[in-house]
Amino acid sequence: MSRAIRRGVPAILVAVTLAGLTIGAQAPAGRGRAGQNAAPAPPAATATGEPLSALAPENLNKPRPKAPFDLTGNWFISGSVPGGGWLFGRTPAVLPKLTPNAQKHFDAYAAAVKEGKVYRDDIGQCWPAGMPVIMTRVWPITMIQLPTAVYMMSEFMNSLRVIYTDGRPHTDPDVVVRTFNGESIGKWEGDTLVVDTRYFTDLDKHWVDQGIPASKDFRMIERYKLINNGNTLEGEWTLIDPQNWEGEWKGTRRWNRVNDHDIQEVECLPDMNQHLQSTSSSVHIR
Amino acid sequence: MASALAVGIVTPLLAHHSPAAFEATKTVTLVGTVKEFRWQNPHSWIEMMVPNDKGQEVLWAVELTSPTYLVKGGWKSNTLKPGDKVTVVGRPLKTGEPGSAIFTSVTLADSRTLTERPARLGGPATP
Repeated sequence: MSRAIRRGVPAILVAVTLAGLTIGAQAPAGRGRAGQNAAPAPPAATATGEPLSALAPENLNKPRPKAPFDLTGNWFISGSVPGGGWLFGRTPAVLPKLTPNAQKHFDAYAAAVKEGKVYRDDIGQCWPAGMPVIMTRVWPITMIQLPTAVYMMSEFMNSLRVIYTDGRPHTDPDVVVRTFNGESIGKWEGDTLVVDTRYFTDLDKHWVDQGIPASKDFRMIERYKLINNGNTLEGEWTLIDPQNWEGEWKGTRRWNRVNDHDIQEVECLPDMNQHLQSTSSSVHIR
Repeated sequence: MASALAVGIVTPLLAHHSPAAFEATKTVTLVGTVKEFRWQNPHSWIEMMVPNDKGQEVLWAVELTSPTYLVKGGWKSNTLKPGDKVTVVGRPLKTGEPGSAIFTSVTLADSRTLTERPARLGGPATP
């Protein structure tokens, strides 16, 4: 039995890893040139026109330009960018002009901190953190890159995020199921992976950071490159949410490759908060 | 007996919740008896009984980081057992309420002192 299975890592990641290894072994040589600017390939489909899964062998083996880099590995947020690392509980270095709705939350959060209280810590109450928090907290992230998708699993509550790179468009907004991580569609532009994430939840439990809410109109554009001989992932982020701030909120994040850690199963258990007064005491403002 | 003192080093917590309610640098020293030690993700915790100034036993819950980082700091799942006499240093609530703290260090009955490894994993130098 593999170590990943023994450690309780969700079966999907194991399956994806195995699929990647199998496909990697079968992949025809010369699938494409690295760094090539390629128009998004049309989505693969079955004979009856149904879209193929990202893990369908026919989709995985479809000829397409070779990706310029491979994100497969474990990554950990770097604090090397001022205001771009761990924002949890701290005021970001650069804040956009907040709308009255967001300003109300941010002021209440700031006042709570002054009083030694906690404002709307929904994550502590076991609500999903969602994007972007699953990538900015101090928890490692496993990434597995296939020709059709990048599977990301944060150790932070084992949150799964999939970036589809097989040419599919975003889902019809009348059909899509809104989530805390949104729907991510990626494409390669030269040496950069560009990801467009939309369709976030409309529940008022989703936060960009403490005191800064994310609405259903929240959208992220991420541009990723590998630097430092492939050991550092750098992302230029553009955050858009007209319900909560004006214009584009831009920032840089970096993650360092981690070779001495495999993610574990981390769950917010129903009885856990009973033993953690930081989540159950009277200092919480809900 | 619980008492407060200042320390200069604060280890970031690998937290699933906000640390806003806790002191950033001020600490409390808890001398008492372990009631329960839970070894689990995302937080381990110690529940211990600590006599207050009036001699009454008070339950304190002390929150630690995840076992991943505790192991790197020399911990095992059986490092603490119910009944162990220990001295724990932690950061208390800003409100001054007793009963809750975020872990800084523990001194065991055999005089060993354990801390947490900072929530930072190995890897290349940061560019």
